[in-house]
Amino acid sequence: MNPKPSKFILGAWIIALLSLLSFPLRAQVADATLAGTVTDPASKVVPNAKIFIKNVVTRQSVETQTDSAGLYKLSNLVPGDYEVSVSAEGFSTNTTKVMIAAGTKQTLNLTLAGVLSLGDLGFSPAQTQGSAQDQARLNKRSHMLKIHQRIGLIDTVPLVATVILGAGAGGKSTSSTDRFAHLALGSVTGDLYFLSAYYAIRAPKIQGTETRGSIRLHKALAWIHGPGMILTPILGIMAFDQKSNGEKVHGIASAHGAVAIVTAAAYGASILSVSIKF
Amino acid sequence: MVFFLLLGIPIFAQTDSQWVLEQSTLTYHVTHPLHQVDGVSHAARGKGVCHAGQCDFLIAVPVKTFDSGDSNRDLHMLQVTRGGQFPMVTVRTRLPESASASATIHADLEIQFAGQTAKYDQVLFQQKSQGNEIRITGTIPATLTDFKIDPPSLLTVAVKNEMPVRVEMTWQRQK
Repeated sequence: MNPKPSKFILGAWIIALLSLLSFPLRAQVADATLAGTVTDPASKVVPNAKIFIKNVVTRQSVETQTDSAGLYKLSNLVPGDYEVSVSAEGFSTNTTKVMIAAGTKQTLNLTLAGVLSLGDLGFSPAQTQGSAQDQARLNKRSHMLKIHQRIGLIDTVPLVATVILGAGAGGKSTSSTDRFAHLALGSVTGDLYFLSAYYAIRAPKIQGTETRGSIRLHKALAWIHGPGMILTPILGIMAFDQKSNGEKVHGIASAHGAVAIVTAAAYGASILSVSIKF
Repeated sequence: MVFFLLLGIPIFAQTDSQWVLEQSTLTYHVTHPLHQVDGVSHAARGKGVCHAGQCDFLIAVPVKTFDSGDSNRDLHMLQVTRGGQFPMVTVRTRLPESASASATIHADLEIQFAGQTAKYDQVLFQQKSQGNEIRITGTIPATLTDFKIDPPSLLTVAVKNEMPVRVEMTWQRQK
């Protein structure tokens, strides 16, 4: 075996390969220019139109804008196939394809498509133009209602516990521990309830919105559990005092349990009424 | 008066025919593991202007007109789709005038919604013509990410990204 001829062949191959590679490298010189005018369908020049050009192979893109005379110019382009998009306010985007040859200065005049505007459809500017303030109002509303929802859901825990402990605190029971535990949990329930209610009541109202669907039931039930959440602790304190004095719960205070149950039931139904929404 | 008439002549001379949207039902569909939601709007307005064998169409609908049967959910949708700042959904398309003669249309749509523009290529629509009217039906395969919308969630589970929009429209040709 003689290694010299094989080295020679290898060297020849490398030279041949490099020379082959050098052709496309030379072809990739970014020396082409594309320029033109952008007009509307009535042949009027369009200033400030956006031109977006993308090489189909490399996916590299360049963007420019027309001047006051509707002229644009894109320099230093690598030759190849390109997709050219032109867009401007009030017009739809128009896309076309162009092949750019090396070292050339090509002209591509572009016409914007779409002569129709929202005004042509009969929409007033008040209908079509939004504002950051309107969006901020919607954002605040959603944010506050999410807090309302979370606190409301958390409140179900002390609420259920209060109702369960109520059985031990009332009736013939003489245990002061149960009574105090019931009182403490009831206080937590009430505090969380009114905190949750605050976020619902203070959430911004959106003008021109008619209440539809399950939210109507949710709001209607608030007229039951709302007064119930005020009345229940009042009656509870009266019952607590009577019990603490060794008396049997009597008078209006004896309605504490029933009012609490109705309030809790309305509250639970209120949560269920909106738990199928997102 | 003469000035306005002179202005009017080139406008009418340029337009060969027009299409006007007579009736429409647009329905978005959102899927959550726990339930499905459809929001419907009949408030779209549209026009098509034909010239030299090509028709440019513009269809627009206020976001707040979509009704899912629950005003609270609709307001939440309005919020997540940035409807306060961008109150309209607009759809633009360009079709050859001859498309009205075929049973199906493949339309390239440019949709502006929630402050974003998305393009849908070759969306298939079925059409039936009756006299001067054409009824078009089809589904636009929209997704929430197309418009950079954060998916709303229920019980910390987000809705699916797909939000197909069913389109039913009746267009009337006006010479």
